[in-house]
Amino acid sequence: MLLFRSEEHVRRWCEMRGLSRGAVFTPEQLWTIAKPWHGRRLERDWQRFTPDEAEAVFESAGLTGAFWQFGISRGQSP
Amino acid sequence: MTDADVRLHILRELIAGGVAPRVGDTGKALGVSESDAAAAYDRLTANRVIVLRPGTRDVLMAAPLSAVPTPHVVRMTDGRSHYGNCVWDALGIIAMLGRDGDVETVCADCQAPLTLTVRGGAVAPTDAVVHFAVPAARWLEDIVFT
Repeated sequence: MLLFRSEEHVRRWCEMRGLSRGAVFTPEQLWTIAKPWHGRRLERDWQRFTPDEAEAVFESAGLTGAFWQFGISRGQSP
Repeated sequence: MTDADVRLHILRELIAGGVAPRVGDTGKALGVSESDAAAAYDRLTANRVIVLRPGTRDVLMAAPLSAVPTPHVVRMTDGRSHYGNCVWDALGIIAMLGRDGDVETVCADCQAPLTLTVRGGAVAPTDAVVHFAVPAARWLEDIVFT
């Protein structure tokens, strides 16, 4: 994942690399993910999220749909 | 000693001084043999909790912290600086430390400086946007390019 000045810069970056536009969202949404994802790392009982837990975190930030589902890689925690 | 002890020791040393502890130093700090500490480093690596420099047991990443300089610098309001592995991790460092801070990085397209400011538990409004090129189901194929 990368940060860009604007959606126009995302479009340019994807075009130069022949990539399709992926998911674009706000730093506020990324912060909503980052807090639960990393906020407990200094606690002894921290554990990596299961795919279901990770998808719930994405959903809490308004990130839903197939792009945010772990699908065939569900056997491994993200 | 548990793997959690080793994980926490690595994180705390990175936070305190920006340098990841070597296996021998971790063993001494936790009162275990170097071989026991090495085995813990290997298990944490196998579980993708830390990333080592190839062919060594030198820590490159202990999420959300990077042990080497990156373009994603976290400047906490207490004056300390840290490196994140990506912008997500950089924000995660601020969340993990539970204080205010800024993430200084650049636009991936034009390299213009960009700053994300976290104050009072919220990100200040910005025109910047986040882009994921790869859907979640494929992140583990190449965790560096997502």
